[in-house]
Amino acid sequence: MVDAEELKALIRKKLEEGADAFLCLVDEEGSLVPALVTGADSPDLERIRVGGVRYPLAKILVELLREYPGRRFAVLARGCDERALVELAKLEQVDPDRVELVGLACTEEEARACGCPKPYPTRVDLGERAEPAPEREVIEEAEFLPDPERLRFWEEHFSRCIKCYGCRNVCPMCFCEDCALENPQLVEPGVVPPEFPSFHLIRALDMAGRCVDCGLCDEACPADIPLRSIYRRMQEVMEERFGYRPGEDPERRNPLSELGTEAEIKKIMGSGLEI
Amino acid sequence: MSGNAQEKRDNREKDAGRPPLGSVMVVGGGVGGIQASLELSGLGYSVYLVESSPSIGGVMGMLDKTFPTNECSMCILSPKMVEVASDLNIEVLTLADVLSVEGQPGDMRVRLRLRPRYVDAEKCTGCGDCTAKCPVKIPDPYNAGLNVTRCIRVPFPQAVPGAAVVEGSVCRYLQKGKCGNCVKVCQAGAVNFEDREREEVFRVGMVIAAPGYRPFDASRKTEYGYGIYPNVVTSLEFERILGANGPTQGHVIRPSDGREVRKLAFIQCVGSRDVTVGNGYCSSVCCMYATKQALIAKEHLPTVEPTIFFIDLRAYGKDFEKYYTEAEARHGVRYVRGLVSGIRERQRTKNLLLRYLDEGGCMREEEFDLVVLSIGLEPPCGLAEGLGLELNDHGFARSDPFLPVLSSKPGVLVCGAAQEPKDIPDTVTQATAAAGVASLELHQARGTLLTRREYPPERDVRGEEPRVGAIICRCGSNIGGFVDVPAVVEYARTLPGVVFAEERLYACSQDAQEWIRRLVEEHRLNRLVVASCTPRTHQPLFRETLRSAGINKYLFEMANIREHCSWVHMQEPEKATRKAKYLVKMAVEKARRLEPLAEGESEVIPRALVIGGGVAGMNAALHLAGSGFPVYLVEKEAELGGLARNVHFDYRGEDVQAYLRQLIEGVRREELITVFTGHRVADVSGFVGQFRTLIQDDEGRETLLEHGAVIVATGGGEYRPAEYLYGEDERVLTQWELEARIAARDAGLRRLRRAVMIQCVGSRDEERPYCSKVCCTEAVKNALALKELKPEAEIYVLYRDVRTYGFREDLYRKAREAGVVFLRFDDGLRPRVARSGGSLRVTVPEAGLGEEVAIHADLVILSTGIIANPDNSELAPMLKVPRNAEGFFLEAHMKLRPVDFATDGVFVCGLAHAPKSIEESVAQAVAAAARAESVLCKEKIVTEGVVAVVDEERCSGCGICVRLCPFEAITLDRERRKAAVNPSLCKGCGTCTAACTAGASRLQGFRADQICEQIEAAATAWEG
Amino acid sequence: MTEEKKEGRAEAGGEDDVRILAFLCNWCSYAGADLAGVSRLQYPPNVLDVRVMCTGTISPYFVVKAFQEGMDGVLIAGCHIGDCHYLKGNYMTAKRFQVLREALKFMGLEEGRLRLEWVSAAEGEKYAEVVRSFTEQVKALGPSPLRRKRARAVKGEKGAA
Repeated sequence: MVDAEELKALIRKKLEEGADAFLCLVDEEGSLVPALVTGADSPDLERIRVGGVRYPLAKILVELLREYPGRRFAVLARGCDERALVELAKLEQVDPDRVELVGLACTEEEARACGCPKPYPTRVDLGERAEPAPEREVIEEAEFLPDPERLRFWEEHFSRCIKCYGCRNVCPMCFCEDCALENPQLVEPGVVPPEFPSFHLIRALDMAGRCVDCGLCDEACPADIPLRSIYRRMQEVMEERFGYRPGEDPERRNPLSELGTEAEIKKIMGSGLEI
Repeated sequence: MSGNAQEKRDNREKDAGRPPLGSVMVVGGGVGGIQASLELSGLGYSVYLVESSPSIGGVMGMLDKTFPTNECSMCILSPKMVEVASDLNIEVLTLADVLSVEGQPGDMRVRLRLRPRYVDAEKCTGCGDCTAKCPVKIPDPYNAGLNVTRCIRVPFPQAVPGAAVVEGSVCRYLQKGKCGNCVKVCQAGAVNFEDREREEVFRVGMVIAAPGYRPFDASRKTEYGYGIYPNVVTSLEFERILGANGPTQGHVIRPSDGREVRKLAFIQCVGSRDVTVGNGYCSSVCCMYATKQALIAKEHLPTVEPTIFFIDLRAYGKDFEKYYTEAEARHGVRYVRGLVSGIRERQRTKNLLLRYLDEGGCMREEEFDLVVLSIGLEPPCGLAEGLGLELNDHGFARSDPFLPVLSSKPGVLVCGAAQEPKDIPDTVTQATAAAGVASLELHQARGTLLTRREYPPERDVRGEEPRVGAIICRCGSNIGGFVDVPAVVEYARTLPGVVFAEERLYACSQDAQEWIRRLVEEHRLNRLVVASCTPRTHQPLFRETLRSAGINKYLFEMANIREHCSWVHMQEPEKATRKAKYLVKMAVEKARRLEPLAEGESEVIPRALVIGGGVAGMNAALHLAGSGFPVYLVEKEAELGGLARNVHFDYRGEDVQAYLRQLIEGVRREELITVFTGHRVADVSGFVGQFRTLIQDDEGRETLLEHGAVIVATGGGEYRPAEYLYGEDERVLTQWELEARIAARDAGLRRLRRAVMIQCVGSRDEERPYCSKVCCTEAVKNALALKELKPEAEIYVLYRDVRTYGFREDLYRKAREAGVVFLRFDDGLRPRVARSGGSLRVTVPEAGLGEEVAIHADLVILSTGIIANPDNSELAPMLKVPRNAEGFFLEAHMKLRPVDFATDGVFVCGLAHAPKSIEESVAQAVAAAARAESVLCKEKIVTEGVVAVVDEERCSGCGICVRLCPFEAITLDRERRKAAVNPSLCKGCGTCTAACTAGASRLQGFRADQICEQIEAAATAWEG
Repeated sequence: MTEEKKEGRAEAGGEDDVRILAFLCNWCSYAGADLAGVSRLQYPPNVLDVRVMCTGTISPYFVVKAFQEGMDGVLIAGCHIGDCHYLKGNYMTAKRFQVLREALKFMGLEEGRLRLEWVSAAEGEKYAEVVRSFTEQVKALGPSPLRRKRARAVKGEKGAA
């Protein structure tokens, strides 16, 4: 369990060291909401809470950084928040110089509940590192099926989709000004459930090399569609083919976002395709 | 001629004023003349293109295919012909002969005889009504007389001008005052029997002679029975038989009975390499065209068994050797080395019995269904009489040994086969070079006589609903023979947005362009779809037509229903028709979404960079400097001169070292040339008009050069043999080492008793499957020099084919007469060299006799091949230009763009391109310089409309596009979080667009929404 | 034969009538297809092609859309690695293809319905062979399950209207 005093001290320290505000969750009449703490003696400090619900803090930070140019922020970040921030920095959405992290390790219980591959940030300021608890249950279930049945498996899942866009809206990695899912040429407007499989396939493709496996989409989906497993499968492909894991190495970029060299391409294409 | 054209000429005469005059007359309307004219127009001169027949096009217009790519000849030539026709600064004068040429460079007077056409080309629509009513049949000259046409007819479908012509000597009206049917039926009132022959004098700055060649008259070789046996045809006739637009529509059938040909023979060297008919030279192209014809015949009729009877297979050009070996190994073309001494005809079957001497000396006889005589190229008429040029011993135009486009007469340049027999790319190269030399003479008058194209203002169509016009081309029978064109037209009419759809026999013909312009006006079209052939060749033509009709040229889309449909589904007409419909639908759906695009302009730095200070590089530099453009000449070695430093005399005895000294001196003296010896190119950025190149000297000191064009003249290397004891025994030399000794009058050579030369060392093998082109001539030349030095010395040349093409054949004959012994060996059975006592023992399995011959020699001379410059691999990515498998640079188009790269503003010449002789390198260098000049002489360069743009509203500034751009054309404004594309750098690949999940990055003309429409059209078409 | 397969056949004139969309880059593969045409190499008429300047411009969305619209197979053909007219455009094609293929596979669409080939401007014969073999391959798979689904939906719509 995180010590409240320790947290408050860390926040005060960050604010004193030059952060203009601290992004964290506070108790607002019984529910946890994201809030900015702006002063070392702010009364909000008393309402700070850790645990329970999660918010896409990286996504909120993107907005804050845009809204308050020149301001610096500190944030209480879990492993997934950090991964998102790392990836967003590569995509020019976050200026790492204006963001400071206070690392929060998830509890073992949280990690398990989340099926998290890495339930802690690079530097842990609060809590203890728990064992990763990645899960592949749905992936294995799907992969076990022969082609036509796998298609039906997903079709069944996707038939529950009410096209609420919750998966996209909550996703820290989604920041496009114009979303492909609302392009009438790609996704027919006014059709629910959306066309199978293009709606979910498009999102899956966009997530390749980008999804940080935070699991917020799964949490947000009112229809219990195992979205995260699809994106996770995409990350497996990225790792198998390109050795790339989004959110880990700030120095390496998504291979789908840079040209690369001829040697790399030939290596990738090595299997089963004549060059 | 129209009043308008007459007026234009009067103006030119008046304004012509003081010399030099900014105009050139090009004599000959074949591919050489066409190329020279287009080039001159691009360089800023007005042109008269004079052609003796009723249409430009020349022999290339009659060819079915071209080697070694098997591309359709008319398909690549026709766009150029149309370009000539639509160029305001080129006036085509057909049925015209040169009577005399006088004057000085800069101020020439040409007297022309203009023969009557009897049809007003401006009024004639080429409808063909007159031909249908004409009672007089004549052999069709376009089809080499194999079928008949009428006395009045359009020469051929793609003719320029596309107007009818009357054959006056057989016309009933003109001869007997009867008939006149054509006058009656011509609704345009174009027939004019009052037309008379007249003479006119033209004032121009320079004259370029490109009259081509005269085909050898095969009936002179009586032993082959041409003109007597119906199934003996010339190669030009066979070309027409193969032509899909020829008398048999490409069916390989024989004239006597229309039966399909099974056994097909080609006899090489008919009228070439034959002193008995007075033609001692090699015609240079016949081995390759026979190979091509054999391949195409097999393609048209797989059961054909072609046999080529030849002496030496001369596959010496770029990629020719591979073409030949594949023809033999993969496509079943049979090559027989043997001289055909006579042909007899079997009376009943009209089959032909060929008697030939095989290599072993045995007389053999074999029966064939059809015999093609590979006729040689003879000099054209009028070189001496009309043009007043001096001729060489063979009757071709005598020309400068190092710059072959310079004729004997100042003010007159010569190019193409009239100078020496040659193929299309060499002709195009020389034509470009001739245009460049003309410009060198006239550059002070550049632009003074130009007429600028006035386009009608572009109609703003942005608010309009799409009104698509769809033209479905029959392409004669190429499409119409397999696709139900009327059904496609009907279907097109049902498509949304289509307000007009009609078929056309040839959508690319000149009159069709006029028709399209009228359609645009009549139907207020704002989009055009042409369903015909490939946009890769014909899109520019239709875009130009659309623009001249006042519509933005990017509002055009093509459906390729020929290459991608009718030609590949010949056995399934119904499905081909269905596919054609769907392709049309896809094009229409895309067209509906097209928007007008603007072309940008960018500045030109009027300086050039020449990379390589050999013969090619120095010539290119001198040429550009001579035309007034500063040049940076970069050479990695400490000295200028390149590989030519190894060559002392050429096959005509010219002193190459003296020439080289004169070149170097010229470069050093020329103020506009800055020479950087000991420098390498370290980095190149920028684009056509604005390159920035970083060069480095040996100590790493850098210099930044800014220039508008680049000429790559990096030269080649010499193969260093590891075989035949080279490097182990000092008596084993390369030809260049021998030549150095000959030039130095080495006393040791006077003691020579026996020498053996081995050909194809490092050439035509597995590692280097190409011919180095120069080594045969080199060997023969040195063999003769040795003979001269010591007549009693025995010289043996071990060869595979003696490839002394063109006039080099004289030397080969001379060598044999002088007693040089030529022994042939087969591939895979190479000679062996061993030390044996005091001499070298060379053994070779002599191919003809099939016996091993052993020669004890004092000297063994290796004819080593030319290899690509290893530096090319570094330079290619910097310049963004490709190389072929052998490491030589790969030009933009093998036939028609021999010195261009696909990358604008970068040109290639000399050995960097492929092995070639010095004079060929020089011609190519001047051609490359002329091409560069055409960039540098423009104030601004117009950039393409198909470039990427960023829709700022949708851009989140993620920067992915910036990193994905292979040309570094995109920059990111981090403050505003917006990307922006530099249209001058953007090449329009669209790699950025596919990565933009927000759809902010778009490739104009290939936008995602347009492609999505095509996808949807494809899918829904199928659903019906 | 399954019920669905029969249905597919009934709707579209048989399984032979597979529908394939090809994306061809202008400089190599489109030219290769042109060469196949000039050389009169015969191949099945089941392919409709979309010309793009470079395969690098082919968004994975296009392929998704093609399948969604009922295409049975999608062919992407571009310059050999190293030959790209735009130097490296096809690198991205190669990478995106890896991801796309796996994504489609994971969704349950047969792997054989998507193919990437490098065809140069000189490889007319190869282009023809690619179309022949790919058409055969797609024929063997039969109409795409998505096409059958779509056909039902279209029929349903018509019925409703």
